[in-house]
Amino acid sequence: MEQPVQTEMWKAQSLEELIRILHRIFAEDKVSVEEVQALMESYESNPEEWLQYAKFDQYRYTRNLVDSGNGKFNLMILCWGEGHGSSIHDHTDSHCFMKILQGNLKETLFEWPEKKGNGEMIKKSERVLRENQCAYINDSIGLHRVENISHTETAVSLHLYSPPFDSCNTFDQRTGHKHKVKMTFYSEFGERTH
Amino acid sequence: LPAGLSQWFPALEVLDVSGTGLAELGAELLALPHLHTLLAKNNRLGGPGSLPKGLGQAALGRSLRVLNLSGNRFLEMPPSLFGLRGLRSLSLGGNRLHSIPPDIQELCSLEFLYLGGNFITSIPPELANLPSLSYLVLCDNKIQSIPPQLAQLHSLRSLSLHNNLLTYLPREILNLVHLEELSLRGNPLVVRFVRDLTYNPPSLLELAGRTIKTRNVAYAPSDLPENLVRYLSLASNCPNPKCGGVYFDSCVRQIKFVDFCGKYRLPLMHYLCSPECSSPCSSASQSSTSQSESDSEDEASVAARRMQKVLLG
Repeated sequence: MEQPVQTEMWKAQSLEELIRILHRIFAEDKVSVEEVQALMESYESNPEEWLQYAKFDQYRYTRNLVDSGNGKFNLMILCWGEGHGSSIHDHTDSHCFMKILQGNLKETLFEWPEKKGNGEMIKKSERVLRENQCAYINDSIGLHRVENISHTETAVSLHLYSPPFDSCNTFDQRTGHKHKVKMTFYSEFGERTH
Repeated sequence: LPAGLSQWFPALEVLDVSGTGLAELGAELLALPHLHTLLAKNNRLGGPGSLPKGLGQAALGRSLRVLNLSGNRFLEMPPSLFGLRGLRSLSLGGNRLHSIPPDIQELCSLEFLYLGGNFITSIPPELANLPSLSYLVLCDNKIQSIPPQLAQLHSLRSLSLHNNLLTYLPREILNLVHLEELSLRGNPLVVRFVRDLTYNPPSLLELAGRTIKTRNVAYAPSDLPENLVRYLSLASNCPNPKCGGVYFDSCVRQIKFVDFCGKYRLPLMHYLCSPECSSPCSSASQSSTSQSESDSEDEASVAARRMQKVLLG
């Protein structure tokens, strides 16, 4: 992604409009990270618009596909129950945007482990993302763990990945060892997958 | 809560009084025979009388299926809670609990138990008597060890233990057949193999007792002083299922590391009759521990296939 020729700041008034603008942006050859992040942040979360995609699972967080972006990106909604968290993972050379639609999520950034990693992974930073904030990460920035640390509130987040990917590596915090995993969708376009 | 609640809304099924500052849930609730879900999180509940007396005998006691008391001020689980024999889901996350009472086993229908974010230091073995428990959350507490009885929770699908004070796990954890999710991050799990250096060698009395038991040396009560007859009756079988040995007072806690498909090494606690205990065990067990290690690894790879996601990292 490189700087766009013109700097236009979009404002998405609804989830539908957000998706429409994303399609338009990604139809171009060059897409700006800042533009997408600003667009995602501009959308003010309205649960009525995304409740149909927000399917929670009792045991772990869920990934619910919203739009497959003509193959250029995947847009999905993740639902986090109380205490649900992800493992430390990478993003398979893709761009990852994460916007909070409800609740809060803690993001902990980690350094890539050494090639022959056999020690505790190094924490770079951590922060708590609030409603409507949008974070960005890619493999050159590092690895992260995302978790809902609340014991009383659920959390919902909107993720955009470009290009789309269905596998990534998870990392053992104590040793840096990695393990490839396949990612699946709990639901697609509002319908439960099985 | 308004006094006429059960008269105005006799058909009430779901009541959400979360975030209303309530300091107690009163008797007005008791006469709601259809209420199955009560959400009262983020209030000021926790003092005596937070829950109405006679909960177990009331209509509510039979109908209630889901109770959410997270984000309150409970220092201990209120005793009237245990009358809710039909309760399927209980959340007391983000309170101030220091322990789980053995009475927890009274909640015989419980499937979902959320106790994350408290100050719990230990788990009572009675928790294992909940036959339908499938989701157990104990993250963000101060738990130092897991009782091996927890392996009796055959229905357990998800166990959340992250951010506690665990240094090892009991080997019985491998028996949890349906466990698919296990979170262990943020525990001071012992990474390198640690030999228990505080093993006290058995006394001559113990060694003699072991020999008599394992070699089936015959004796009659008249052959020995009464105290020795009593001592011999206290022999315990070595917990290693493949070992036929016995021990009296002296057993070794040994931490064995079990690879889950070579990706993670979980420290599991073995109790053995001696540091040389392996399988098969004989009185002259000179064989190395490699046999029992590889047995553990076989068990582990079977468990790993069942356990789809170990969130250790």
